[in-house]
Amino acid sequence: MSEENIVERSFTVRAELGLHARPAGQFVSLASRFTSEVMVGRGEEWVSGCSILSILSLAAEHGSTLKIKAEGDDAERAVSELGSLLEAAPGDV
Amino acid sequence: MKIMDILVRDAVILDVASTTKNGVLEEMARALASAVPSIEPDRLVEVLVEREALQSTGIGEGVAIPHGKLPGLDGLVAGFARCRDGLDFDSIDGQPTELFFLLVVPEHAGGRQHLKALARISRFCRNAEFRKKLSEAVDLEGILSAIADEDGKF
Repeated sequence: MSEENIVERSFTVRAELGLHARPAGQFVSLASRFTSEVMVGRGEEWVSGCSILSILSLAAEHGSTLKIKAEGDDAERAVSELGSLLEAAPGDV
Repeated sequence: MKIMDILVRDAVILDVASTTKNGVLEEMARALASAVPSIEPDRLVEVLVEREALQSTGIGEGVAIPHGKLPGLDGLVAGFARCRDGLDFDSIDGQPTELFFLLVVPEHAGGRQHLKALARISRFCRNAEFRKKLSEAVDLEGILSAIADEDGKF
């Protein structure tokens, strides 16, 4: 049952002002709904997908590429829903 | 961008007098407005309160970054305040908030500067040692040197 399930894909940040406080908050609240562990990567750096401080520290501007990695039973759903959120241009300030 | 370059020294409050969310926003806004003449204090309070209504800027680990845009500013400015016992800021993690970084951005500035300042403050605040230094500082110098030290790291 508990087979290793890791999903990783890249997405483009569409929010006009980048991943600032509010979209980062939306991302974290969505990420915490999954049982999978969610990580967000930019370049070489990986941070927890459940910490706004960590996500904000990536300074992901409009058009930048972020990787989302999830590990757990609902990894596929986590990556696809979180990816859609990034690409859906969540609310600007 | 260095935080020390945008931090207004006279808008650094060692221990706030207020014990409520709006009280802290107002105290910080007034301190910043007294130091930066182009800021109209009531307008800044209004902008910050409106922004908080969208979603709290209390982003966890006892840290909040209240922010807003104002017309007539030459560049981004920041303030700081501490509430030693922590207060209810409707933070995302439900925990009391102790450290406040206020960011005010010129209305016509692009989002990039704002994002960079948010990122830099967030990066500082991820570091538990940094938060501890701010919590334990006994005077304004302690706060400023903690921020300057972190600024010097990258």
